[in-house]
Amino acid sequence: MSHEENIERLNGLLAEELEASLRYFHLAMTVRGMDRLLVKDILMENMKETVEHAGMLAEKILQLGEAPKIEIKLELPAEKTTAQEALRTAVTVERAALEAYRELLEKVEKEGNVVLEEFARAQVALESEHVSELELLLEE
Amino acid sequence: METWKEFEQNPITHSAAHHLVAIAELLEDRGYARVSDVARLLEITRGSASVTLKGLKQRGLVIEDDRRFLGLSEEGAQIASGISVKKRVMHTMFVDLLGVDARQADVDTCKIEHLVSNETADRVSRLLSFLQSGASEARAFVAALEKFDGWKEHDPAEFPSKDIESLELREPEGHDDSN
Repeated sequence: MSHEENIERLNGLLAEELEASLRYFHLAMTVRGMDRLLVKDILMENMKETVEHAGMLAEKILQLGEAPKIEIKLELPAEKTTAQEALRTAVTVERAALEAYRELLEKVEKEGNVVLEEFARAQVALESEHVSELELLLEE
Repeated sequence: METWKEFEQNPITHSAAHHLVAIAELLEDRGYARVSDVARLLEITRGSASVTLKGLKQRGLVIEDDRRFLGLSEEGAQIASGISVKKRVMHTMFVDLLGVDARQADVDTCKIEHLVSNETADRVSRLLSFLQSGASEARAFVAALEKFDGWKEHDPAEFPSKDIESLELREPEGHDDSN
């Protein structure tokens, strides 16, 4: 991948993380039912973590000599949701982020880009942990 | 029920329509479709595509195999095909018959392609069929339209123009002024 392609990919991941943070916020604010007591805090915690991930991506882009670009298109409806549905959406979003980091890892591994490879590997580990934690919550 | 409320209950949202058509296009062009391909084609994040596709899978319109390749169910394929055809029909009418700028026609078509009824799309396609038939009546119709003074260009910024006041316009049934 060229320098430009690396930056484009990192900006894409930045959009994934920022969108995810807004989704978490929205889910935390729209979740209803008794389980809200438990799930709202989990969703808010995940929101903070996705913002941290976005910060790491932005730093990485700066380290590569560019400025981060934020381009997101998101419309979240004014609909209440259940805890189960909110967690299912959260798993879907985390799996998508995991896949995106895996794709980055695969690309940078092939080209021997050690800096990005280490970064991508660490993010894959983090996202895998998130997915597993959320999947545990959804187990019957 | 008022029409605007029916919009809210439309089984296919604007976003869902784009996802179904994107899968159909990818399957036709490449023979496969993955979440990442849909996201790239629609220029959205993988997360957004995944969440919308999750809803479409739950509704049985999109299917995903063990290797995470996407496909359309019979109903999903039918909806995607209907939207694609409606898009082309309405676009053709806007550009070829009404003389709307092609880029504006793209925007307007995108807004209605998943909302316009089969009945309306069918009537429009029959009108286009007549106009494209080459029949002398069709040619005469187009010629008369082009000669008509009121057909000449107007500034869209001035809409509604004074000419419209003289028209006998039909009030849509079920229209509710409170909306």
